[in-house]
Amino acid sequence: MINYVILSMTLLAIGIYGLLTRHHLLKVLISIELIATAASMNFVLLASSLNKAMGEAFLILAFSTDTCVTGIVLALLITVSKKYGTSDIRKLAELEWHEATEAEKGKSETDGDDD
Amino acid sequence: MVVSAFLAVYLDDAVYSVASLASALMLVAILYSLNDAGFAAVFQLGISVGTLAVLFLSGETLSEKTNQRNPLRKAFLAIAVALLLSIPSIFLSVGTPSTTVSSGVSFPEALWNLRAVDIVLQGLVIMTVALGIAIVLKTRKEGGN
Repeated sequence: MINYVILSMTLLAIGIYGLLTRHHLLKVLISIELIATAASMNFVLLASSLNKAMGEAFLILAFSTDTCVTGIVLALLITVSKKYGTSDIRKLAELEWHEATEAEKGKSETDGDDD
Repeated sequence: MVVSAFLAVYLDDAVYSVASLASALMLVAILYSLNDAGFAAVFQLGISVGTLAVLFLSGETLSEKTNQRNPLRKAFLAIAVALLLSIPSIFLSVGTPSTTVSSGVSFPEALWNLRAVDIVLQGLVIMTVALGIAIVLKTRKEGGN
């Protein structure tokens, strides 16, 4: 018999592995989906083994937050990839750092001119 | 299910990843229905179909074409690793409660008891939709200028 707790822990581990190692924003979203699925699977299967309907009710409520997360991340993904032309987290981080340092440089130069 | 989930994370092509995620979520729905959680199975199926349709579209739009060497070998390696990962869930046990305890709470009753949470979450959904629309429209306005 398959142990569902270990199954959901395996799914959780795969999701965390994806979050830590993948750099594409869509892969990050897929990893978040897997983590959410693992959590809701625990709810449903443990509650169903105890013959309680509360697990199913919680699952249906959890779906709404899960859909919110998916919608927001997808909106951000499309916005970012249209604006910067990439959906790689490393490139986006470099871009942000580069822009921040440029802005910092410009600010210090204008301060120096004022003095 | 573990193999599909691992392939969804491991494969480089976004479309194949979403296809693997689709199969994993369908298997989760089948697992729910096998465990007498019919409502959960139907909701899981409905939500996952909607999510996957959007993910397919965005995956097709955003996927970057890469020249991979030996993609088949990589997929076989991933399947082998995923099969190894699925072994603990078959052979290990953590002592879950096996006795059936009836609580006397039916599904509609449980949903009714949680109506306050439901209303809060509906508000959260509406706020999220508004935020998403605001993000997209702000970008369009910036692009227009």
